[in-house]
Amino acid sequence: MAQSDEEEDYMTMTFEEPKESKHETSLQRAARMRKEGEARSRQKSKAEREAEAEAAREASLATALPETNKGFKMMAKFGFKQGGTLGKSENARKEPIRLNIKEDRSGIGLESEKKRKFREAWEKSEREAKRSKEDQGDFLQQRRQQQKEKKAERDLDNAQRTAERLSEQEAEEKGSAHTDEKSLTDINVLWRCRARRRVEHQRDRRQRRELDNGLASRLPTYVEEDEDNDSKLALGRDVAPFYTSLENELEEEDPELAEFEALPVTERLQKLLVFLRETYKYCLYCGHRYPDAAMEGCPGVTEEDHD
Amino acid sequence: MATKREFDADDTSSAKRVKMENGNGSLDPASNPYLAHWNEPMAKKDPSNSADRLHSFKRHATTAKQAKAAEDGPINPFTGKTLSNNYFSILHKRRDLPVHQQREEFLKLYQESQILVFVGETGSGKTTQIPQFVLFDDLPQLNAKMVACTQPRRVAAMSVAQRVAEELDVELGAEVGYSIRFEDKTSPSTILKYMTDGMLLREAMHDNNLTRYSTIILDEAHERTLATDILMGLLKEVVLRRPDLKLIIMSATLDATKFQKYFHNAPLLAVPGRTHPVEIFYTPAPERDYVEAALRTVLQIHATEEEGDILLFLTGEEEIEDACRKINLETQDLIREDAAGPLTVYPLYGTLPPAQQQKIFSPAPPPLKPGGRPGRKCIVSTNIAETSLTIDGIVYVVDPGFSKQKVYNPRIRVESLLVSPISKASAQQRAGRAGRTRPGKCFRLYTESAFKKELIEQTYPEVLRSNLASTVLELKKLGIDDLVHFDLMDPPAPETLMRALEELNYLACLDDEGELTTLGRLASEFPLDPALAVMLVTSPEFYCSNEILSLTALLSVPQIFVRPASNRKRADEMKDLFAHPDGDHLTMLNVYHAFKSDDAQANPKQWCHDHFLSYRALQQADNVRLQLKRIMEREELELMSTPFENKKYYENIRRALVAGFFMQVAKREGNGKTYTTVKDEQNVLLHPSTVLAQDSEWVVYNEFVLTTKNYIRTVTAVKPEWLLDIAPNYYDLATFKKGEIKQALQRVVTKMERKEAEKGRR
Repeated sequence: MAQSDEEEDYMTMTFEEPKESKHETSLQRAARMRKEGEARSRQKSKAEREAEAEAAREASLATALPETNKGFKMMAKFGFKQGGTLGKSENARKEPIRLNIKEDRSGIGLESEKKRKFREAWEKSEREAKRSKEDQGDFLQQRRQQQKEKKAERDLDNAQRTAERLSEQEAEEKGSAHTDEKSLTDINVLWRCRARRRVEHQRDRRQRRELDNGLASRLPTYVEEDEDNDSKLALGRDVAPFYTSLENELEEEDPELAEFEALPVTERLQKLLVFLRETYKYCLYCGHRYPDAAMEGCPGVTEEDHD
Repeated sequence: MATKREFDADDTSSAKRVKMENGNGSLDPASNPYLAHWNEPMAKKDPSNSADRLHSFKRHATTAKQAKAAEDGPINPFTGKTLSNNYFSILHKRRDLPVHQQREEFLKLYQESQILVFVGETGSGKTTQIPQFVLFDDLPQLNAKMVACTQPRRVAAMSVAQRVAEELDVELGAEVGYSIRFEDKTSPSTILKYMTDGMLLREAMHDNNLTRYSTIILDEAHERTLATDILMGLLKEVVLRRPDLKLIIMSATLDATKFQKYFHNAPLLAVPGRTHPVEIFYTPAPERDYVEAALRTVLQIHATEEEGDILLFLTGEEEIEDACRKINLETQDLIREDAAGPLTVYPLYGTLPPAQQQKIFSPAPPPLKPGGRPGRKCIVSTNIAETSLTIDGIVYVVDPGFSKQKVYNPRIRVESLLVSPISKASAQQRAGRAGRTRPGKCFRLYTESAFKKELIEQTYPEVLRSNLASTVLELKKLGIDDLVHFDLMDPPAPETLMRALEELNYLACLDDEGELTTLGRLASEFPLDPALAVMLVTSPEFYCSNEILSLTALLSVPQIFVRPASNRKRADEMKDLFAHPDGDHLTMLNVYHAFKSDDAQANPKQWCHDHFLSYRALQQADNVRLQLKRIMEREELELMSTPFENKKYYENIRRALVAGFFMQVAKREGNGKTYTTVKDEQNVLLHPSTVLAQDSEWVVYNEFVLTTKNYIRTVTAVKPEWLLDIAPNYYDLATFKKGEIKQALQRVVTKMERKEAEKGRR
């Protein structure tokens, strides 16, 4: 082997004399041999070794035996051709069985489960990336649409508030029941959601208050989870909520309201605008209650008409 | 005793039927149980001619009734002796077996066709009863032939032969015998021979038509061992040449249609096993750690399920012993908390001594106090409990879905045992184990969808997972030239055959044309791997055939060193007493020589125990050595030794080792720990068990062990000069890839040439 130059660093270079490169003394030779030996014996890390071994194995496993193999020639004598199979059955195997080395104690299906999850996550992110790309084109249009919807929502809220106010006024004038005293289902579906929201809000407040009181009274004891109902009762901890009935009422199905809420914002707004005009001769966009049904001076139902 | 009466009534009618069938009034007294007392004086008159008692039997035209009558005694129709009480008590139980119901049907099909496929689940009694049914109809003694019944495992061949000898009330080795590798327990009077499938294959090498048999039964064919598959291919041809030979393929699984199809649509007879329904449970999600999950499941069953024993399937000795320890510990806790009854845990694996294997049959422990929670036993087993062993009382099966399976890949020439997922067929077989005594439960530690999607249908037959060098040598000896078109049920990948032929060529067992050489013919006489056989046959050239004979025997038996988990350090110290710095082969030889010394032989069992050696393995090695020695003497191979004082004593042995194992050589990379295998260029490490010092540049190895790391096990240092000298064909440098190994060998060649030249100059 030639003298290994790569072993010598610039430090030794400065001490080197020209004569030495020609003739190597025994001491120098010993030193060089030692150095070379050390280089050769440099221990690769465990991970490095394992990775190398695996790579070599996989490479060999992926390579079919060549036609130069002595066995191939002996087989060719009996009519075997590269790519052929043995025996007389039709679907004999062409390739050796794959070697799968199990490296841990993971159960059957865990590996593919992991792969599946990974694939799903990947597909999802892929899908999302794709969608956002598609959407970029009509971003401005979408933005406009969103703004329009927001505006419509605001208008709807205004219209509902106005409708409610007007109907209450009317009721007061007539001397009939106040909205709060009416059952929810008796309120016009067009603005019933407002009443419902109020009730919900009240209930929340009540619940919170109840909880605060409750906590204060119970501290510093705690509830044991596995206490049975009897002992709970005995200890006065029967905390079955008193608002069940109210809750139940709220939880009750209100198909009429649900149906209305399911409509698009603009459609709901449209219904309210028409209702206000027909019942109270009121135009939201003029902000004025006209004296007669002709509503003279109002350019039309929609906001655009008022531009 | 209702059953008894039924049994008697049945017999009366059978006697009547015989009478009617014989018609002409010449009723043979031997077949009439009511005239049994007549037989005794007759037997005394002529005890030698046993066939007389069956003289009314017409070969291949007998009926079940006739046979039953003959079986009812009181004279043993095969020996002429009076049948013992033990015989009758066993006979009673035999008649209760499921196969017995179909004896008539079986005989009809057996008589009608040359090949028959018989399906009977484990516990149907097929292995013990069918060969006897055949005996009474085939009457092999009339033609001086035998009935052979093959078994995939040695232990099964021995124990079944023992059982059937008892059932027929004959001496084991007389009328009923067995033949396994390195052990033959038969005699000239043998008419029924249980044998390993490998043995029958070896016999075929000398007797290509298997002329000494009139019927051959291949049992447990569903296991698809290498030898069974080769035998099927062979017998498919033999039955054409021998129309008088009958063949029965017996299988325990319902996939038997594949056998039917393979044997030209042979008729099929199925006997239902005696099984109860088994409820199958899957886990909702895949398990992170199947061993841990298995332990959890076992303990849960023990704490919550009704009485009944548990069978847990794991993969190997170490895993099983570890699991047993952990279950024991956890059970103590459960008992202390009074949450469960006692639980006895038994390990079960192939290398376990037979006495310990027998323990699994002991009954479950009784409750700790009268009326307390019932005890149960838990058997933690490899897949030997899947088909070959039947344990009654199992009600719960825990199946993590793995087993250790042999794999072979011709591309890297590695034959190794790897933990692999089982097949669907295997999983079903495991579940079935729970329903032997009463309805049971099987807990699969994987999801139902994993069962459907991840498991293959059938386990790959062994022929697809083995190195075929030995098989190819056998087939060549059998006179089968065209191995390419040899009709195997599942032909392996062509590369497997290619590699086998190549290896045999390098070993000089086949010439370049693929013809058997003299060495090949000689090597095929030994029931050994070709490399071992060649090493043994060529050992006289190295003046150490005695030593190589011992070494070959030692390499043919299970591990001789014992290293219990609880006492590893002491075991290693003991091993060091025998250690030879040049390697493990020589160390094993040292052990054997010490074992044979007077000192050790005074009390060999104790000596082995003291030195952490397996007495069983060493004894077995001794026996194998004897058998191989006989073959060597028969083949006139000289037995000799280099004098121990001679400094070449060990060197000669190492050279002889190279003569067989030159294809299993590795060279160290630099001064590191890693080695590279020659030609295949796989990175390997020396197995931690080696005694070899780290400074050996070239080593031969006995085994390439594939795990997450690649190991070579049982290694001995050799010199590169020997490689070039002894195996010049393999070490033809022109065939080497460029690289460190080629360079190193090139340097050795140059050095050798220089030495040669110097010698010439002198």
